[in-house]
Amino acid sequence: MSARRPAAAETPKDPAHLRAEFSRVWVNPRGWRSLSVVNHTAIAYRFLITGTVFFVLAGLMAMLMRTQLALPQHEFVDHKLYNQLFTMHGTVMMFLFAVPMMEALAVYLIPKMIGARDLAYPRLSAFGYWCYLFGGIIILSSLALQMAPDSGWFMYTPLSNAVFSPGRGPDVWLLGITFVEISAVAAGVELIVSILCTRAAGMSLDKMPLFAWYILATAGMIIIGFPPLILASILLELERAANLPFFDVVRGGDPLLWQHLFWLFGHPEVYIIFLPAAGVVSTLVPVFAQRPIIGYRWAVLAVIGTAFISFGLWVHHMFTVGIPQLALAFFSAASMMVAIPTGIQVFVWLATLWYGRPRYSLPMLWLAGFFFIFVAGGLTGVMLALVPFDWQVHDTHFVVAHFHYVLVGGMLFPLIAGIYYWLPHFSGRMPSERVGRWAFWLTFLGFNGTFLIMHWTGLLGMPRRIYTYEAGLGWDLPNLISSVSGFVLAIGTAMMLADIALHFRFGRRADPNPWQSNGLEWVMPLPAPPYNFLTLPTVDSRDPLWSQPALAETLQQGEQLLPEIDHGLRETLGSDPVTARPRQIVHLPTNSWWPLAAAAAIGALCLALLGKVYGMALVATVIAAVCLLRWSWENGAHASSAPLAILRSGPLPLHSRTFDSVGRYGMITTLLASGALYFSLLFAWYYLWAIAPEWLPPAGAPLSWTLSLLAGTAATAACALHTIANLRLRRGVEQQLGVLTGAAALMGTLQLGLMVWTLHHAGLQPTLSAHDALVIVMFAFVGFHTLVAVLATALQCWRVHYGYVSLAVPYEVPVVTPLWSFSAACFWLGWLSIMIMPQVWLG
Amino acid sequence: MTGIAAGLSALTGCRGELAIVDPAGPAARSISLLWWGMVIWFGLVLLAVTLLWIYSVHVRPRSGRAVTEPAVIARGAPRWIVGGGVLLPLITVTILLLLGLPAGHRMAAPAPDALVIEVTGHQWWWEIRYPDGEVITANHLVMPAGEPVILRLTSADVIHSFWVPRLAGKMDMIPGHTNRLRLEADQPGLYRGQCSEFCGAQHARMLLTVEALPEPEFSRWLSRRQQFLPPSPASKTLAQFSTHCGDCHRVSGLTRGLSGGPDLTDIGARPTLGAGTLTMSEPGALLRWLQEHRRLKPDNRMVAPPLPAAELSDIAAWLEQLVP
Repeated sequence: MSARRPAAAETPKDPAHLRAEFSRVWVNPRGWRSLSVVNHTAIAYRFLITGTVFFVLAGLMAMLMRTQLALPQHEFVDHKLYNQLFTMHGTVMMFLFAVPMMEALAVYLIPKMIGARDLAYPRLSAFGYWCYLFGGIIILSSLALQMAPDSGWFMYTPLSNAVFSPGRGPDVWLLGITFVEISAVAAGVELIVSILCTRAAGMSLDKMPLFAWYILATAGMIIIGFPPLILASILLELERAANLPFFDVVRGGDPLLWQHLFWLFGHPEVYIIFLPAAGVVSTLVPVFAQRPIIGYRWAVLAVIGTAFISFGLWVHHMFTVGIPQLALAFFSAASMMVAIPTGIQVFVWLATLWYGRPRYSLPMLWLAGFFFIFVAGGLTGVMLALVPFDWQVHDTHFVVAHFHYVLVGGMLFPLIAGIYYWLPHFSGRMPSERVGRWAFWLTFLGFNGTFLIMHWTGLLGMPRRIYTYEAGLGWDLPNLISSVSGFVLAIGTAMMLADIALHFRFGRRADPNPWQSNGLEWVMPLPAPPYNFLTLPTVDSRDPLWSQPALAETLQQGEQLLPEIDHGLRETLGSDPVTARPRQIVHLPTNSWWPLAAAAAIGALCLALLGKVYGMALVATVIAAVCLLRWSWENGAHASSAPLAILRSGPLPLHSRTFDSVGRYGMITTLLASGALYFSLLFAWYYLWAIAPEWLPPAGAPLSWTLSLLAGTAATAACALHTIANLRLRRGVEQQLGVLTGAAALMGTLQLGLMVWTLHHAGLQPTLSAHDALVIVMFAFVGFHTLVAVLATALQCWRVHYGYVSLAVPYEVPVVTPLWSFSAACFWLGWLSIMIMPQVWLG
Repeated sequence: MTGIAAGLSALTGCRGELAIVDPAGPAARSISLLWWGMVIWFGLVLLAVTLLWIYSVHVRPRSGRAVTEPAVIARGAPRWIVGGGVLLPLITVTILLLLGLPAGHRMAAPAPDALVIEVTGHQWWWEIRYPDGEVITANHLVMPAGEPVILRLTSADVIHSFWVPRLAGKMDMIPGHTNRLRLEADQPGLYRGQCSEFCGAQHARMLLTVEALPEPEFSRWLSRRQQFLPPSPASKTLAQFSTHCGDCHRVSGLTRGLSGGPDLTDIGARPTLGAGTLTMSEPGALLRWLQEHRRLKPDNRMVAPPLPAAELSDIAAWLEQLVP
């Protein structure tokens, strides 16, 4: 075994031999076996290509709509199809294109930018992709089957409930989107942990590329922002399928609860789409200005500020629902405050260009288009934040124009700029300057022709989502202009896509680092190898390629960190989240079929729920759980992972031999997402208490004091047992590990039994009262987390028996302990809300 | 500003029945002013930053004026970011809020003496009730001009939104909630409204006519409407109407219409049919609606009465006479 240390290996190996060995270990199999690939580069390609297909389909839907609206009283499509088209256009663009594309770019770039060989959980990357693909196929096939959702992409209830939408459309939306969201949250968790824990030596937080900051903030917003929608979707699906009345006024619910939960997600969503794109801008501007970015710290603060503020603005989508004046004033002011961090970024870019030596290039042209369109959209956004103005233009074509300026300007243009910029990375070839310029001008002019005039259409009073309109309202000409320009836009976009596709064959070969960039992703040969870096770099500045010109050479000579490959394991460096001092070696799993199997089982679950075949749904759930648990089995000292027989020397331990591994960070990040979901649930509970006109609380305590307190005691005891196991291991005591974990699992099982008994004993009427329905959902939430903890801990107990978990390989125990604490905390929070707060509140 | 509006209106051939930029009431007027103020100021901002980008990228690099001394940059950079990124938006936003929030407050000011009219949204029409409870109409809101009225808005099914752009901003109609909207028209006249929250299949055909009458005329209209006794048709027509239409449609004194269709007591006096689908001035509009409403407004909730054309024609002829 070779020595492991964070300095250059003493006897550098032959670089050619190293490259061959790395290629063998990191190989992506071909043919049908390629379905088991987990490497981030390969997964990102799949995401990008799938996202592009969805983009084209959603774009075609827009073309159909623009054709229908081109003339007054036009009978090109009927209202049924039109309503499906605008619902699907919005849904597909938001959930299947914008968010996944940006995450795909991050999945591709982040490891390369921070000097890692892969993301922290390669199997999770693959799982996320399959969930996205299957969910997307389910959602899109509904349109082909003429049963697509047709109540708008924000699915307002009661229109989307079982009374007013008896078809399958809303179910497709709710189940399909939740399925796809698994992918978004998985990528969010993975990106956060990778950015925090696997950066190159020396890349302390203040030297991190700005793109990584943007992605860190975005991923944080995803894990906090998506859970409210996941909860809302679950509640609405329960209302539709099981008649639980969360949003039904008559039975104590409130349709406005849906709007609050939806926009609690929906507003951050806008920044989840915009921030990565702004990250692309902040990456490209310094490269083409040929100087380091000006105001790095300002930009970081602006990004974090945007992420925070974005959670306090959701009500600005609801200015017309009848909200008290004071609240309107607060949310109006808060919404306008976003102008400040956005303004800071705009002037960071302008200052960098001003003090740099900007050179013209194709990516810069797309950035200029972005700049104009996005600033215009931002300014109309400030207008919309002004309450009285919003009262007029809310739900008109003015708003449609505004958000297309922000989303197309703020996301599509930077994305295209970024794709042109990173094309040599994908293909080793350069884009065509000439076709690219034509495509830009057609897209830019077509876009403005379509949407600039649409502001005016809205000011002439045209509401959004109407499939027909009368002649003579002043809307005829502007709509015709929008439709014709829409086709110009489509031609421009098609030309851009064709240009990119053709360049893979006809593009000029790219030199190394063809744009003379500053970032680590350009240090590797083009196109990028699956392992990214033959040896891992040490960086000393924010612009490593400008300050360390010899870096590429030394990396390829095998003169930097972690050159060992003889053991045949995929590895990258684990570093301190703040200082990026190397602390461990992160062993990365290799290709696996379990992600595909698990995602397929969840897809089957989704289809079973859609068809209301609940027996099959149960079977699919069990299969999915078995796949996920089997996947988790291949960890730690398992023979296919990092068995104890492989001896280690040198200062850096393998991550599974430590207590503070990437797994623990992943668990805590995932629990943040779960916590956001539970917080949304408690929000629903308190919101309905305060607001729902017909909320009917029971006279006394809804649950038995004795039974519920016993269940809580069991929850606390289970948590305590696992915590003791963890603490003893940390003190170096290995004895009784199996007994303690086994006892924790048993205690958790007892807690589950007591919780079921409590509910059974209470005799709740969930179909008659939103109160009772919410109590059941709170119990189900805690019960689900306890069940996962029980399964994970029982498995752990079993693994102790096999020697996969021990004092030598302790890391899995501290991974599971936070789950127990979370589950117990949620139990008691729920108990307080159900049993104590109503008594206190009512006096 | 009005010049620009007129120019644009001419360009787009605008009659402007729904135009926000052609206000006819105090609320709509102050919002229109806010709009023109904002668009001018923001237009200048957009122009300035776009020119800065173009100048920095295309002109300055060739002018040989590029600054490279770190000291100059260190002094200058914060000015850019603080001046453009912090102060410019902060000042703009403050001024906007100082102007906009009080304006919004005035638009929602209580009007204790005002007439209160209840408007309920249905898929896809508007039910309008006047204070005494007896005067009920649909898709035609008559109100006094020159003074505020208060609308109490709710919905019988899904969420709708009440919006008459030339008079005031919109307000949602939500089942289980009652929202309040202050509406005022400067001058007598007809104003058009349209549902502006997507409410299902025929959201596009959920229009409303607001008729503002000068004060003495409005009071006369209301009392005439209160005292109106619809003429009874021939007994056979009445029987057909009661059997096939009366369960849903109320005609004061004749049918009760408990199942929630539009009240027809004054249908002969309404400007449109089917919430704006047909104009009443069109000859034979009522018969056409009875015969073709499925095609004219697909998925509307009205059951096609299984009656021969002659009898439908009798019903239509009678309904046309329902003019208070």
